[in-house]
Amino acid sequence: MFNKLEWYKPNLAETVNMLERLYYDALNRQGGNVTFRALPPSDVDFYSTFDLRKYNYDTDITRYAEDLCILLHNSYCKRRLLDDNMLPTISPALGIGDYSAFVTGEIDFRQDTSWSQPSLKEVDDWKHLPPLGTSKWYQRFLVICEEMLKISAGSGIPFIRGFFSPLDLAGALRGEELYYDFYDNPDELHELLNYCADATIKFADDIYDLADKYLRDSKYGLFYTKGIINMSEDIACMISGTLYREFCRPHTQKVIDHFGVGHLHTHSRAMYLVKEICSLNNVANLWLATDPNAPKPIEHIEQLVDDANGVCLAIDCEHFTEIKNNFYKLKKGNFSITLPVKNIEEAIEFTEKFKILR
Amino acid sequence: MILENISLSLQRGKAKEVKMQVQAALDSGVSPQYILNCGLIHGMNVIGGKFKNNEVFVPEVLVAARAMNAGLEILRPILVQTGIRPIGRAIICTVKGDLHDIGKNLVKMMLEGQAIDCIDLGVDVDSDEIIAAIKEHNPDLVCLSALLTTTMIEQKVIIENIEKAGLRDKVKIMVGGAPVTEAFAKEIKADAFSPDAASAAETAVQMLTKQVDDDV
Repeated sequence: MFNKLEWYKPNLAETVNMLERLYYDALNRQGGNVTFRALPPSDVDFYSTFDLRKYNYDTDITRYAEDLCILLHNSYCKRRLLDDNMLPTISPALGIGDYSAFVTGEIDFRQDTSWSQPSLKEVDDWKHLPPLGTSKWYQRFLVICEEMLKISAGSGIPFIRGFFSPLDLAGALRGEELYYDFYDNPDELHELLNYCADATIKFADDIYDLADKYLRDSKYGLFYTKGIINMSEDIACMISGTLYREFCRPHTQKVIDHFGVGHLHTHSRAMYLVKEICSLNNVANLWLATDPNAPKPIEHIEQLVDDANGVCLAIDCEHFTEIKNNFYKLKKGNFSITLPVKNIEEAIEFTEKFKILR
Repeated sequence: MILENISLSLQRGKAKEVKMQVQAALDSGVSPQYILNCGLIHGMNVIGGKFKNNEVFVPEVLVAARAMNAGLEILRPILVQTGIRPIGRAIICTVKGDLHDIGKNLVKMMLEGQAIDCIDLGVDVDSDEIIAAIKEHNPDLVCLSALLTTTMIEQKVIIENIEKAGLRDKVKIMVGGAPVTEAFAKEIKADAFSPDAASAAETAVQMLTKQVDDDV
């Protein structure tokens, strides 16, 4: 089904070199790298056509994997002339419910996403859960990963999987009660977060072992998994820097330390946390998604350069002129800039304009 | 002094202290309305302002709201006895297809912190349930929350269906949620938009008090 990775990305080696240098410099707190990604609708549209409800996840996993791989292939075909910083990747898409259901609970599938329900009524109820790795969705998710890897391995396309941070996982398992736990049950909350860190480490290790089994002989197949953990820090947007330092930092750091390097994600409404997150050890990349009704990262570049201290910030903008006008400032740090565009032609046009800028 | 202490304890989320202080204030002859306005609501207003300015965050708002409710437990029966009524009634929910509830819950707490009676329909709520609730509860305000770009469209559907049901003139409609903007709110013909829970409460109070003035 898939072609070789090189077919989708004509300047593959150059793109990988650019990304390697970006992350190397980020880890060494050296600025000077600005890379560009164009985001045509075809990069994301297919998710809305992928109806998660039409599969029986006991019996249809092969069909699910094939259908998703076809959509990914079609999407990557459309951008194959685009010489931006984006590498095609393979990853399951089951909404957000599976991000915690691998520990416990069910997934409630909707057309284009999924949900989970909080399952820990008390903060220490995790102590009564069956051993990690035994839940239905843990095992099912590994089967899904393996099916996708069987289809894609020959292409050498990198496998990628993101995870909830320990705080996000605890938030999904505890629901709103988590916010009271900071004040009512601080010691027990630390225990829960430590459990969530262990759960993430085990789950990611098992997924990465599968990726390694199928992709170890490929040149770039493990680009996003070998020594790297991708995690979201979404719940962090709801809490103060003080609580982040006390409750989240040690557990997120534990997961990063297990794998080596952290690629993290949070939102622009938590701009005040960029300094906290980027001061974690061995964070190479922080994807700072722009929220409506919140500050736009591109309008705060000088502050972000200071706060990130070399960590690559993946941010988006609305207009190419924002990149052009801020390019000098951006070069003081490390940035990966995403620009939504109307179509592939416009994507090519702006990618070429960016090369001139660079 | 005692009212200042109630406000401070509430801001610190100390529910037991608020409960004791409200009782002590009543015992010393302070009027329940005065305790409500200058102790509890004052405290929630301070928390709301700090929340808007990123000085406190969700956990602090939630424990403060819990402390407010602890104080109201003591105060509510006395307020009812003395004939003091809420300033209005609101129906609140997260729209169909969306199961996020934290934003909706924060708005509800802030509204209650302004003495607005709230009927919480929960999450994943469709037009039919909202229309039935409007008919049953006769609210002044309907608050619709959505946290996803894919579900904010449901706010438009609900407003259209409320209009089709002939109820649009009976209620004000406020929309909010992370992806919702003022421009979107105008486009879907909502009466109000708020970017955060504290602003939602301020806007609700303005709309409800204006409505009372207009009615008068």
